[in-house]
Amino acid sequence: MKTLTRRTFLHASALSTAAVLGGPSLAVHAATPPKARVVVVGGGYGGAIAAKYLRMSDPDIRVTLIEKDSAYVSCPLSNEVLGGERDLASLTFDYRGLTRRGIAVMQDTVIEIDPAQHVVKGAGGNRYNYDKLIVSPGVDYDWAAIEGMSEAVAERIPHAWKAGKQTQILRRQLEAMEDGGVFYIVAPPNPFRCPPGPYERAAQVAHYFSTHKSKSKIVILDAKDAFSKQGLFQAGWQEHYGDMIEWVSGAQGGIIEAIDPETRTLMGSFEEFRGDVINLIPHQKAGALAQTAGLANESGWCPVDQRTFESSIHKDIHVIGDACIAGAMPKSGYSANSQGKVCAAAVVAAINGDAPPAPSYVNTCYSIIAPEHGISVAGVYRLDDGRIVDIPGAGGVSPADADARTRALEQQFALDWFRNITSDMFT
Amino acid sequence: MPVSTWSRALCVCLLIGMFPSLPLHAEEVRSESMLANTCAGCHGTLGASAGEVMPTIGGMDKGYLVEVLTDYKTGRRPSTIMGRIMQGYGDREISAIASFYAAQPWVSTDRVAVADQLAEAPALHERYCESCHQDGGRSQDAESPRMAGQWAGYLQYAMQACRDGERCHPRKMRNRVAELSDAQIAALAHFYESQK
Ligand SMILES: Cc1cc2nc3c(=O)[nH]c(=O)nc-3n(C[C@H](O)[C@H](O)[C@H](O)COP(=O)(O)OP(=O)(O)OC[C@H]3O[C@@H](n4cnc5c(N)ncnc54)[C@H](O)[C@@H]3O)c2cc1C
Ligand code: HEC
Ligand code: HEC
Repeated sequence: MKTLTRRTFLHASALSTAAVLGGPSLAVHAATPPKARVVVVGGGYGGAIAAKYLRMSDPDIRVTLIEKDSAYVSCPLSNEVLGGERDLASLTFDYRGLTRRGIAVMQDTVIEIDPAQHVVKGAGGNRYNYDKLIVSPGVDYDWAAIEGMSEAVAERIPHAWKAGKQTQILRRQLEAMEDGGVFYIVAPPNPFRCPPGPYERAAQVAHYFSTHKSKSKIVILDAKDAFSKQGLFQAGWQEHYGDMIEWVSGAQGGIIEAIDPETRTLMGSFEEFRGDVINLIPHQKAGALAQTAGLANESGWCPVDQRTFESSIHKDIHVIGDACIAGAMPKSGYSANSQGKVCAAAVVAAINGDAPPAPSYVNTCYSIIAPEHGISVAGVYRLDDGRIVDIPGAGGVSPADADARTRALEQQFALDWFRNITSDMFT
Repeated sequence: MPVSTWSRALCVCLLIGMFPSLPLHAEEVRSESMLANTCAGCHGTLGASAGEVMPTIGGMDKGYLVEVLTDYKTGRRPSTIMGRIMQGYGDREISAIASFYAAQPWVSTDRVAVADQLAEAPALHERYCESCHQDGGRSQDAESPRMAGQWAGYLQYAMQACRDGERCHPRKMRNRVAELSDAQIAALAHFYESQK
């Protein structure tokens, strides 16, 4: 049996301007010199897990987690905030649990990585030396892909694709919309964060509309001709919301080329659409830090060795989560969690002079279509010739003919999935 | 395993030992923790679930885990998602995963009993269940799971599935659970959850 020890750390010189998250019982420097220093940038679904599992498997490694925000707001279940089923507080987590595990959690924004010197630079001038660096910065947006869109316009035409303020803006607009209005969701091309997300969002908002403004409509303008769990979503929409949700595929004219934010008009390849509320989910690429640090290639995403998640561009830097190119794995919180663990094991092995371990990966995404209707997709993966591939016959989506009881159970399991994955990250 | 596969596996291992940078192939052995850590996103770190219908699995008996995981894989035990997931693992991997979780401490929920939730549960347990689920549901072996300190939501789901005939062995238990009302099932679930 493995025993987990929680080491006591002496609080040595606190690093100048960067705030240390997680309360006063900090652990900045170990009493004895560490075996190695690992810095993790980004305390989300990927980074928090990598930091924790590093500590769990080798307590002699000093782990520093750098996160720009004081608290983490989860995207998973944030569609329920749009539907009025929960508030953002229920999706907000702090880093005290990770501090208690002996991880030095620093609130700082990383602005530069020097791969030659093995140094990470923070916005306030702090420098963090590393032997191994793990980066999990999430996604950024390719504003230029749709004419008229920009970060400033997103204050009025929200994407709500990072949970927090953006989610609140969209929720308020939906609340203010008059009954009979049209809500447009502009869905991005692949690859993007959370493939089922836009379609779950449509269902959650339909749930709100059907109880508060039942004459309203939801139109999804899609850049794609197919989407995740499509059959299950379309059947579920029909079952609960009749014709309230309409999906326009790319081929049918769903591709949006430009927007006029003043008149809230979307310009498609055939038609224009004027919406009362517009949720434009932009085209995506690896988080800004990955771009500035030169970790991304021309695709906008970060190529890695899919066994270890070490960057194919810079040695000793690993990229996990949405930002990396991970073969058959979709960009999801569960994928980021699974990759964080594989990466942590590879980093521990490298530090201890062992061969990189044979990896195992899993993904699951639950979606909630109505209060008693959940669906899921799962994937189990292995490495084949350097690429992450689906294990044939494993995984797949919930059965199309599942009974009401199974759907209700899956909705409950979806909520518990959230409880457990966030406890895996933050406790 | 036929001899040829053995020698091939041995050969691969030797090669890996000599040339660590050699590309590895599908036959390579994935460690217990590597395989088992993928479950934690749903079942909690080291299998200690944060609730309510998702079961705690850390600290279960190894034999029971092997049986249950194999039953999910073959479809003998119906499930919403476990069947789809277990298709991804071979028998030796299932055994490795089971070893990992059997070696973890069992972490009971911190729920306490609320008297009016329990009603006749202790008496029902004594009469119908204690013969197999001994010591207030604390006992466990390769055939039957520990229930004390398990989440009530999961126990309720399992008992309902048993009563409704979806899955239930042994038959003797089915006969007893079949007679329980919804209220009695809820009471028993809270009873076991509150036993630590
Ligand atoms: C509406 C919606 C619903 C979703 N639902 C699900 C779901 O049900 N299931 C699921 O599995 N996934 C879901 N996802 C996807 C999931 O949110 C992402 O895949 C996941 O967050 C990816 O993890 P990550 O670590 O790559 O990035 P994030 O979780 O975004 O973490 C990145 C972190 O890095 C920090 N950071 C970035 N740059 C810097 C810097 N320079 N310096 C310091 N810190 C920095 C950020 O502040 C952030 O905390 C959903 C997404 C959306 C938008
Ligand atoms: C997507 C979430 C998810 C993942 C990943 C997952 N499980 Fe489960 N597990 C469940 C659910 C839900 C149930 C209840 C049965 C069902 O409906 O599928 C369950 C039930 C179980 C049970 C039965 C418990 C009992 O008391 O009989 C065991 C054992 C188990 N899982 C082990 C595992 C192991 C081991 C793994 C990793 C290889 C794993 N699970 C991965 C969701 C998950
Ligand atoms: C004859 C012995 C026997 C009796 C009597 C019995 N059980 Fe069981 N019980 C078992 C066995 C064996 C299992 C493991 C089933 C399996 O492998 O799927 C089990 C499993 C369970 C489970 C967990 C199922 C799961 O999916 O995790 C619950 C809950 C349970 N029993 C409740 C009860 C209750 C309540 C009673 C009394 C009304 C009862 N049992 C009586 C033998 C028994």
